[in-house]
Amino acid sequence: MDGAYLEIRDLVKSYDGKTRALDRVSLSARRGEFVTFLGPSGSGKTTTLMVIAGFEAPDAGLVRVAGQSMAGVPPHKRGIGVVFQNYALFPHRTALQNVMFPLLMRKVPRAQAARKAAEMLDLVGLADFGNRHPRQLSGGQQQRVALARALVFDPTLLLLDEPLGALDKNLREQMQLEIKRIQRALHVTTVFVTHDQSEAMALSDRIVVFEGGRIQQDATPLEIYNRPRTEFVARFVGDSNLLRARITDPGAGIAEVEGLGPSRVLPQQAQVLPNGQGTLLLRPEALAPAEADAPNRLVLAVEEVVHFGDSALLIGRAGGVTLRARIGGRAAQGIGAGAQVPLGWRPDAAHLIGA
Amino acid sequence: MIALGWLVAMFVAAPLLVVIPISFSDAVSLEFPPPSWGLRYYQAYFADPRWTQPTINSLIIATAVAALTMVLVTPAAFALVRHRFGGKGAVNLLLMLPMVVPHIVIAIGYYAFLSDIGLLQSFPGVILAHTALSVPVAFLVLTASLKGFDRTLERAALSLGAAPWQAFLHVTVPVLWPGFAAAALFAFVQSFDETVVAIFVSGATTETLPRRMFDSIRMQADPVIAVVSTLLFGVVALLALAAMLRRRAGG
Ligand SMILES: Nc1ncnc2c1ncn2[C@@H]1O[C@H](COP(=O)(O)OP(=O)(O)O)[C@@H](O)[C@H]1O
Ligand SMILES: [Mg+2]
Repeated sequence: MDGAYLEIRDLVKSYDGKTRALDRVSLSARRGEFVTFLGPSGSGKTTTLMVIAGFEAPDAGLVRVAGQSMAGVPPHKRGIGVVFQNYALFPHRTALQNVMFPLLMRKVPRAQAARKAAEMLDLVGLADFGNRHPRQLSGGQQQRVALARALVFDPTLLLLDEPLGALDKNLREQMQLEIKRIQRALHVTTVFVTHDQSEAMALSDRIVVFEGGRIQQDATPLEIYNRPRTEFVARFVGDSNLLRARITDPGAGIAEVEGLGPSRVLPQQAQVLPNGQGTLLLRPEALAPAEADAPNRLVLAVEEVVHFGDSALLIGRAGGVTLRARIGGRAAQGIGAGAQVPLGWRPDAAHLIGA
Repeated sequence: MIALGWLVAMFVAAPLLVVIPISFSDAVSLEFPPPSWGLRYYQAYFADPRWTQPTINSLIIATAVAALTMVLVTPAAFALVRHRFGGKGAVNLLLMLPMVVPHIVIAIGYYAFLSDIGLLQSFPGVILAHTALSVPVAFLVLTASLKGFDRTLERAALSLGAAPWQAFLHVTVPVLWPGFAAAALFAFVQSFDETVVAIFVSGATTETLPRRMFDSIRMQADPVIAVVSTLLFGVVALLALAAMLRRRAGG
């Protein structure tokens, strides 16, 4: 684990003694890295976070931060900043007093704590709101205070559990940028939990996809998007066409694809597919209006068109399967339900997933 | 519906509408409506140690009851809200029992029990008996506010470097403060206006205000009683109002 700053190995955790909320979860993060836990509700993201923070004890496995085992270290001695989903601001204290709290707990003299807390409020853009109580702040502002409070004591790690879930879309996107900016400025190793794949894509250096207490994939956002390891990941991250595929000629890279017939795929992918069986992932944007040189072609019988302005989603059928294609907004002009649209895709725009 | 509501409100308030005017009467005996107005009953009340002493007794007892109740109820409420343990249902039921047992039964029980241990007619005796009556109400109030308490606040405090006792002191207690105050208030009021048990277990030197009123009306229908009623109502209403204002200010 070269350079691993946060190291988690083989975490197992069961709340009821029967089902495993965490089933051998292992991952690591380098110093300053922004890692996102992505997964559906109940997949074990929060549990992992709570084990890192020390609020839940794992049944097995270890957590190491900066080379030190956290076993037996109580939460208040871990020095880990946590931003909770509901912010958990102290309602009886002002924003400034909230941010001062961790400093006072560390016996920083009051005047110095106030100064440092004010600086941190300034960094999150709330310099003028120090005297307000949490209930006098908007959701986004409360979020910033919670962030300032979790960062003011120079935590070894910053953990955020679905911090933007309660905010509306515009504010959420604004806060994503803000969090990223602050995280970069302070270079703090961060674990961010979300079930929103676009949020994960936008923020992360690395995404760890959870499902059913297990890690499905741990990779960069682009890797997760372009080369998902499992169908689950392919479905969970981004829009997808998933078609059964059987390799008929590994050397030439020919596969028999459900609905599309014999198709050209990348030989290096075809050759490593176990049993020659698998699933072909075609992202909707991989299906482009057919060009003369497209090795794979099909005609989509359009049933529905969803316009987004810059692009449009065509939903239709080809060879008995339903396909989704995302094409440029201009190219989509004049296409309506009932149209027959020739489309093509290139082998390197597709991805084969082992069955 | 609205008319009915007013009717009920009037019915509830009627005794006050009688008692408060009478307290400002200038008549020699209890009379309604008062023939003329004055403060003679108030003068009589404040000048007469047979009234002021029971008032002081009641204040002492109610304060002690509030304190003792909180000492008992706080750990009980935390244990019952936050932990699972065997016999939890039974403990809950026992705590609420004084609420359903008729006061006269409790009064007789305490009469026998306190005389056995030699505390009959003593301050500790009255305080103990009243505390038993105050526990259920205070427990209910505190439990309700404890259930509404967001425990992630404590987790947040821990993650920020507070030891568990610091989290309790700096976060749990201040946030739950209105709940504690309301519980103590209910305990205080419960004791301050309790009559039946006081009649049985308080004595000449520990006589409470409601008991003094009861004795007084039995013997002579002293009009000062209207003053005491008004004051009693005033204290309780003021406390209730304070609690309400606090809640509103607290958001
Ligand atoms: N305090 C708890 N007690 C019992 N079961 C829990 C508790 N917290 C979580 N679980 C269970 O553990 C699993 C993982 O939950 P969680 O870590 O909260 O998932 P996520 O944060 O990904 O939604 C779920 O099945 C959930 O029901
Ligand atoms: Mg969660």
